[in-house]
Amino acid sequence: MLNQLLKKLIRTETHSGRNTMAMTGLFVAMLLILSAVQIQSNYQQILYNKTSQDSIADFLVINKTITDQNVGDATLSDTEINDLKQQSFVEKIGRLTPSRFRVGVQSVSKQIPFYSDFFFESVPNEFLDVNTPDWKWDETSNFIPMIIPNMFLDMYNFGFAQSQHLPQLSQDLIKNLPVQIDIQTQNGIVNYYGKVVGFSDRISSVLVPQTFMDWANNKFGTNVNQQPSRVIIQTKDASSPQLTEYLAKHHLSTNPEKTRFEKYRGVINIVVITSWVMGGLMLLFALLIFTLFIQLTIASSKEEIILLITLGTSPIQLQRFLRKQYLPTSIIVIIVAICIVSIVQFALQKVLVAQNIFVQSFLSVYTIGAAVIVLFILTVVNNRTIMRYIQYDD
Amino acid sequence: MQLKLQNIVPVPLKEKLLQRPSVVWNKDITFENGEWVKIKAPSGTGKTTFVHIIYKLRKDYEGDIVWGNQHLSKIIKEELAVLRQQNVSIVFQDLRLFPNLTARENIELNRVLQEPIYDSAVIDEMANILGIAAILNQKASLCSYGEQQRIAIIRALMQPFQWLVMDEPFSHLDKMNIERAASLIERECRKRNAGFILTDLEDDSYFTYTKCLNL
Repeated sequence: MLNQLLKKLIRTETHSGRNTMAMTGLFVAMLLILSAVQIQSNYQQILYNKTSQDSIADFLVINKTITDQNVGDATLSDTEINDLKQQSFVEKIGRLTPSRFRVGVQSVSKQIPFYSDFFFESVPNEFLDVNTPDWKWDETSNFIPMIIPNMFLDMYNFGFAQSQHLPQLSQDLIKNLPVQIDIQTQNGIVNYYGKVVGFSDRISSVLVPQTFMDWANNKFGTNVNQQPSRVIIQTKDASSPQLTEYLAKHHLSTNPEKTRFEKYRGVINIVVITSWVMGGLMLLFALLIFTLFIQLTIASSKEEIILLITLGTSPIQLQRFLRKQYLPTSIIVIIVAICIVSIVQFALQKVLVAQNIFVQSFLSVYTIGAAVIVLFILTVVNNRTIMRYIQYDD
Repeated sequence: MQLKLQNIVPVPLKEKLLQRPSVVWNKDITFENGEWVKIKAPSGTGKTTFVHIIYKLRKDYEGDIVWGNQHLSKIIKEELAVLRQQNVSIVFQDLRLFPNLTARENIELNRVLQEPIYDSAVIDEMANILGIAAILNQKASLCSYGEQQRIAIIRALMQPFQWLVMDEPFSHLDKMNIERAASLIERECRKRNAGFILTDLEDDSYFTYTKCLNL
């Protein structure tokens, strides 16, 4: 009843144009701010979520970009490796040691005969994505374990084998297929047996244990150059713009597939920042219009408010009444904005999942949190405006 | 609730008022709970100023007013609102109705400003007694001054109070209406065991006053 009477005395609807303007401003501001938070949150999820197929991006093999100038000398110096090690995006760094002897591999099976000149590389075990007890070697070992890239097997099965009318091979079959390894030394060829013990998605090279490599290079090595031409790094964020920038600046390259997010990230950063700035400005304007609207409402009902206070209406009663005039609408506006962003997020999830990119189908807690914070700011600012302007008797 | 006046003098009228004898200005007076006080003074000697000072509508005075144990000089806005809603009701000389509200809405507002003590039917009952039932749904601005005066009286009686302050409340009423209004006021004050302060130009015998003071 009191509110009905107050509504007759303090006319808010006469300024409904301004109210609509303030609400529209608030609505657009909410859309922009919530979108900014949600985009950021989606991006974080894509980057760090282990269910995404992009977790392999944590390890990068880096080498010098081969150009006409450095052909034949694409090794990395200690200074260059140390400098790379100092970078903030590098968690761990390991050298890929190349074999410094000539090596050939041939089949011991009559069904699948082959011979090929070959090369080996090795990395410290911590950089491997294959975990098997067979991965060890010492001088008493009967065979040399090897890890080959999955890609090799695919190339063989789907390219080579079909065109040469050779049987296709499964991973298990290959693991059970011993090969003969011929190492050329100054005193002739030395034979060893080798066995594939795993397949790597991470490093596209034929890997042997570091212990074997050190021993063999020492024993059979002919090439004097001891510097590696490739290193592997572990990084938290393969799409970090600093990383891409560093590589470009030092004429280094890596599998660009793994850093492809970097260019998306640049775009996303711009979108997010623009959204934030625009949203912030819109919110500021919405707050300003709200403040003016409240000021105007109070000013145009000045006589009534003075008399109400004279008769014993408390400032808190007036504040409560005025708050009721805008708070429910503000909450509705914010809820509508949340709903719209939710629907967009839901649709986005459907689109992205088709491309093997996984994001949540509902809003992140940060987005909801942002909405709550905006509502809080709005309430505080408006309450302060009301309290300041209804004090006519001072 | 006691009302204590501690040497109050309105600053703008100070010189003029202190030149003549007064039992109110610049004096220490205490009105006990439930006292019916008449303050008589000719025009222009500060009756309305006095009423506004004790109701805290103006602050340009020396001395202090104490309602119960609340000093008006130190009271905060919320406490003042509670004092006006619960303890001190008022009939202004210039009535101060909302012109755009109907007579009923003006009265209703004071009824619902705090937890109502009366049902809204009491408005009709009192309006009947004072003969303004017919204009209850008329805008206050369209009512005659006499009608407005009676609306203001009923409005003041709609709320709880321990003190009723009335500034020349009967100035535009005929004798019969004054008697009806006085008996209604008396009834309501007795019901609440409340006191009142009434200012007027002349002596009268509408109430059995416990104190008659010359301002």
